[in-house]
Amino acid sequence: MSIDDNASIDDDASIVDDARSGSGQRGRGLRVEGLEVAYGGVPAVRGIDLEVKAGEAVGLIGPNGAGKSSTLLGIMGAVARSGRVLVKGEDLAGFPPEKVVRRGVALVPEGRHVFAELSVADNLRLGAVARRDRTGYSEAMEHVLTLFPMLRDFGHRQAGLLSGGQQQQLAIGRALMSDPDILLLDEPSLGLSPTAVDTVFEALDVIRAAGKAVLVVEQRAEFTIAFCDRTFVLHDGEITLTLSPEDAEKVDVLTKAYFG
Amino acid sequence: MTGQLIQSLVDALSAGATLGLAALSIGLVFGVIRLANFAQAEIITASAYCLIFTWQLGWFIAVPLSMLVAVAMSLLMEFAVFSRMRSANPATLLIASFGLSFLLQRVYELMFSNNVRTAPVASGLAQTVEFAGVRIQLLSVATITIAGLLLLGLHLFLSRTSMGLQLKAAAADFRTARLVGIPAGRVIALSFALSGILAAAVAFVLTVQSGAVGPTFGVQITILALVGAVIGGIDKISGSLAGGFLVGFVTSLLATWLPQEMSNFKDAYVFVLVIGVLLFRPSGLLIKGRGVART
Repeated sequence: MSIDDNASIDDDASIVDDARSGSGQRGRGLRVEGLEVAYGGVPAVRGIDLEVKAGEAVGLIGPNGAGKSSTLLGIMGAVARSGRVLVKGEDLAGFPPEKVVRRGVALVPEGRHVFAELSVADNLRLGAVARRDRTGYSEAMEHVLTLFPMLRDFGHRQAGLLSGGQQQQLAIGRALMSDPDILLLDEPSLGLSPTAVDTVFEALDVIRAAGKAVLVVEQRAEFTIAFCDRTFVLHDGEITLTLSPEDAEKVDVLTKAYFG
Repeated sequence: MTGQLIQSLVDALSAGATLGLAALSIGLVFGVIRLANFAQAEIITASAYCLIFTWQLGWFIAVPLSMLVAVAMSLLMEFAVFSRMRSANPATLLIASFGLSFLLQRVYELMFSNNVRTAPVASGLAQTVEFAGVRIQLLSVATITIAGLLLLGLHLFLSRTSMGLQLKAAAADFRTARLVGIPAGRVIALSFALSGILAAAVAFVLTVQSGAVGPTFGVQITILALVGAVIGGIDKISGSLAGGFLVGFVTSLLATWLPQEMSNFKDAYVFVLVIGVLLFRPSGLLIKGRGVART
């Protein structure tokens, strides 16, 4: 059964929660100032500054343990942090993740973390819990299903039964259902086939073109540098290099990015 | 012989249903905040005391009131104790729930003394009826019916409503649920409230069975419910329910069919089963594989 077969899913705006503040202020980006994250006193992110403007894709690359995922979790308020995370001029310091989502920031977590036992449709519905409006629900659902047509066909399938690439599409679709201005992605290509990676990044291109600010953490350095408008290299929790798409083919730059 | 078999099966179904509900009430909360709440026993006790003290006012007052007491107490535990320990690990939470349990038992002693309080709660259900040569206790039928209706209601709530869906998601992966935007405080409160409703149902059945309530009234069933939840797989709502049912069902059958000298140790057999499960299927009998580690 497809999602279209079940009108109650497409049209069901009942999942939409109460109003998210900042309604009407679309198209703003994200500014991070002096972000610090530590685990048990051990610093993982040491005072990062970065900005992602609307309609821009920014990459974060670096070796394992550089602090990439911690940066995203710090922005989301999922780990203890200090520094400023500014969205539409508002500092999200001290906000729990669910409140950060209501301010227009959505995260596609590493490993996708779809709700495996729930259906594809239910996963998408849950993504809309933090929406600021009821009226945009159907439009958002249609947008997601157009972006990832596969989800339309598998609406009632258990999310855990999807392939890795399909789950990644679902995870991105679920994040988009909250109508975010800022989309954070943690290693969206992890464990995917080359075709699936292409599908995901083609979608990210559409999302960027739609005016969203996209911040993507990746291991595939060359690919990320070429895709993003700017890419920051992280080492030991600090930004050590800023790269432009032209740097993607410069082997020495990439070597420096990873090995210092 | 056939009549006795059917009778024992109905009794076992009833015992399984009661323990299934008790285990589910623990599993619902555990799924969301990793708390195996031993003080669930005292919620059952409080609800049972309420039934005893208010039964003379009529069942239509006593039953809703006992449910209200259970839900209020469950929510109070969350707000007064467990919400202040959000970052604590499951072992710390469990120990805190032990402490709360003992504290409340002493409070009940102070308030109502160590002696049991009695009242003929729904005494009509203690009667047996004969149907096609089989004698069945009305309470067994009522217990199975109550459990069935509650489970149906819970299933519809979880599958058909937005809040139910959010609770299911939170029980499956709490961290991701928060990252998706599901309000943590609200789903946690919801899980405690539902857990309170189930505890009230268990209290009703047990109070009708015994007609007497003391300060440790809910302890034994809570221990067995925890055992059942672990056997079935406390990580999953369905695992807790099925495990609780299994323990209640098997214990009841053992009590009926084992020789007297062996049936006295029926609870011991259940704990042997727990040891076996912990050794060979630590995620629970009814959970596939070892379960996904929660982050």
